[in-house]
Amino acid sequence: MADHEDPRLQDEGKFDEIRRRVAEVAKDAPPLARIALEAMVRKHNPDLKGTADSAGRVGMRSGKVSELTVIVDLKPGGAQRLQRIFDLTKGNMDGAQRVSTLHDMRFVFIDHNTRILFATAYDGDWDSYISDFATKIPELMDLLFQNVEGWPGISSPTVKDFIAEHQINAAGWFVANPQVTVVDVRRMQRTEHALDTFFDAMTGRDDLDPKTAAAMKTLTDAISTPEAVDY
Amino acid sequence: MSGLARFKARFRRERVRLDLGDIQAMILRSRPEPYVGAHAMVHIDDAAGGRDLIARLAEHIPSARDWAEDRSAWTGVAISYDGLQALGVPGGSLASFPLPFQQGMAARAEQLHDYGIDAPENWDKAFSPGTCHIALSIYAQDQNALDTALDLAMSELKRSAGVTLIGVHPFGADEDAKNPFGFRDSISQPTVAGSGVDAQPGQERAIAAGEFILGENSETGVPLGTPQPSELGDNGSYVVLRKFVSRVGAFNDYLRSQADDAEGQHQLGAKMFGRWRSGAPLVLSPDHDDEELGADPQRNNNFDFKQDPKGLMCPHASHMRRLNPRDSPLTILTDVNIHRIIRRSSTYGPKWTPEVTAADDAQEDRGLYFIFISARAFDTIEFMQQEWINGGNFVDLGIESDPIVGLHDDTNNSFTIPAEPARRKLRGVTTFNRMAGGEYMFMPSLTALRWIGAQGWAK
Repeated sequence: MADHEDPRLQDEGKFDEIRRRVAEVAKDAPPLARIALEAMVRKHNPDLKGTADSAGRVGMRSGKVSELTVIVDLKPGGAQRLQRIFDLTKGNMDGAQRVSTLHDMRFVFIDHNTRILFATAYDGDWDSYISDFATKIPELMDLLFQNVEGWPGISSPTVKDFIAEHQINAAGWFVANPQVTVVDVRRMQRTEHALDTFFDAMTGRDDLDPKTAAAMKTLTDAISTPEAVDY
Repeated sequence: MSGLARFKARFRRERVRLDLGDIQAMILRSRPEPYVGAHAMVHIDDAAGGRDLIARLAEHIPSARDWAEDRSAWTGVAISYDGLQALGVPGGSLASFPLPFQQGMAARAEQLHDYGIDAPENWDKAFSPGTCHIALSIYAQDQNALDTALDLAMSELKRSAGVTLIGVHPFGADEDAKNPFGFRDSISQPTVAGSGVDAQPGQERAIAAGEFILGENSETGVPLGTPQPSELGDNGSYVVLRKFVSRVGAFNDYLRSQADDAEGQHQLGAKMFGRWRSGAPLVLSPDHDDEELGADPQRNNNFDFKQDPKGLMCPHASHMRRLNPRDSPLTILTDVNIHRIIRRSSTYGPKWTPEVTAADDAQEDRGLYFIFISARAFDTIEFMQQEWINGGNFVDLGIESDPIVGLHDDTNNSFTIPAEPARRKLRGVTTFNRMAGGEYMFMPSLTALRWIGAQGWAK
């Protein structure tokens, strides 16, 4: 939420402000109206439908996918220690994979490596599984976050408050496939492989009974045509 | 042999590591079988009057010292956040309670998925936010014992000034201990480490005491957040209270619509619950009910899901397997040991018969007070509502919800029964239990009750 005013606008006179706002609205009006109209008249495919919900205590959610953005101070040398961990993992992080609700995690050092921006897209409410992290992967959590000033430790009763206090609500949040969780995607990948194997076994079969043949045709028709995204 | 008798034989005083004499009996003491009881709800109008009532009630609340011994009746007492505030507990202490408790259950509707017909605006008046300050629960082995305990509680109330009785709701079930749908319930309970009994052979290990008793070490190795000062927080726990109106007729009708004969209907009901009506678990008796097994506390909970990884016997989507997945493979990193609950649910209304139809549901006279105790009760119920009840992501079932206690609508009404060669997916499941209200409560230790009664903070 834009709860802090832009300091560059502080010296703007009342008349200037009105003139600026009128100009802004006039300029933005045609595309804004088009976006709003499209949103109203389009009948969205329910599988691709996004929402603007709350992710619980802080953060936004679209469909099943939520966002979490945190900016925190790093301890002296914390950026170097974290960089070593990231260099070691080379894009893989087994603990994060096992969690199975995290779509991604982004770590960005800012302000001359004195602070870190942490951003993640994940399934569900932000704090549903935090207690599970505390007993299942406490070492990974503390390894990553002990470099953060004030980190109370994943087992601390105050860890949720610490995260919530440093979280910044996103102003906007868009997800391409808002109704699909990390777990769903894995199942779909698995299903894809299984279907491939199944179709290999069925290729050229002209001895199927009519009922099975009809079911096969329905299945083939449903999944074999390349389609543009009907959003 | 009742569940209670089973504990009696296993209790070893020398194994006790908890301060049982300070913990309310209801936390460790299971329902008797058969059981009767009553829930009463009190509102505090005047702080001094409320404290006077708490001080006098404290004298009648048994401790857990002899929790495995026979007892004819016992009363538990719990206080809401608004209740603590109304009793004059100072702000510093109030702020040391978990945020969801401070907000109250109605304010947590979004986290609890209490939407639509389950939304707070549709709850019973007694559960309007700020109404329930003190909840009293009496459990008794027979009506005489209940009457005696209830008379005592009511006479203490009558002697009080500045408190209002909001209501009393009786409950009970016969020796079959069945829920409104005719299924034996409250069978599986966690073993609390240090309580004096060990986990039974074949069952999961004892759970760290701090998962249930505030101030004790939890599964993380340290205590969970404990209210301050220690006189108030230690040896207490938290209670989640949710009243459900059961649509037994709609459930019966649904079974009739999906299965032709009585046997098929029983079987489908068992698939939805995860146990047969007798309480016999599906993994121990996949094809038919087994009354003897269901009634035997030595055997009716002695199983895991190792032999049934695909859910061919007990569906992953069944109520029992969802709410206690034991060793089931789950898609999401989960520690099942921190989501265990001590269940103290109580059934009210007429006993189940297959003749009940949807037309009878309008009376709304059947249901269950879903009550459980845990030191992380609020996190747990919100987790369960989001992850294990109103969704199926954790067992790779997308949005599919609990067939018994989930909230269903036109787009979310399936129930998947794994089978070979292809799974059977039922549609048209409706909301068989409507939420009628509830509250987040604190169950203080006996020390804390006396501390509150005597305005301990002023000394």
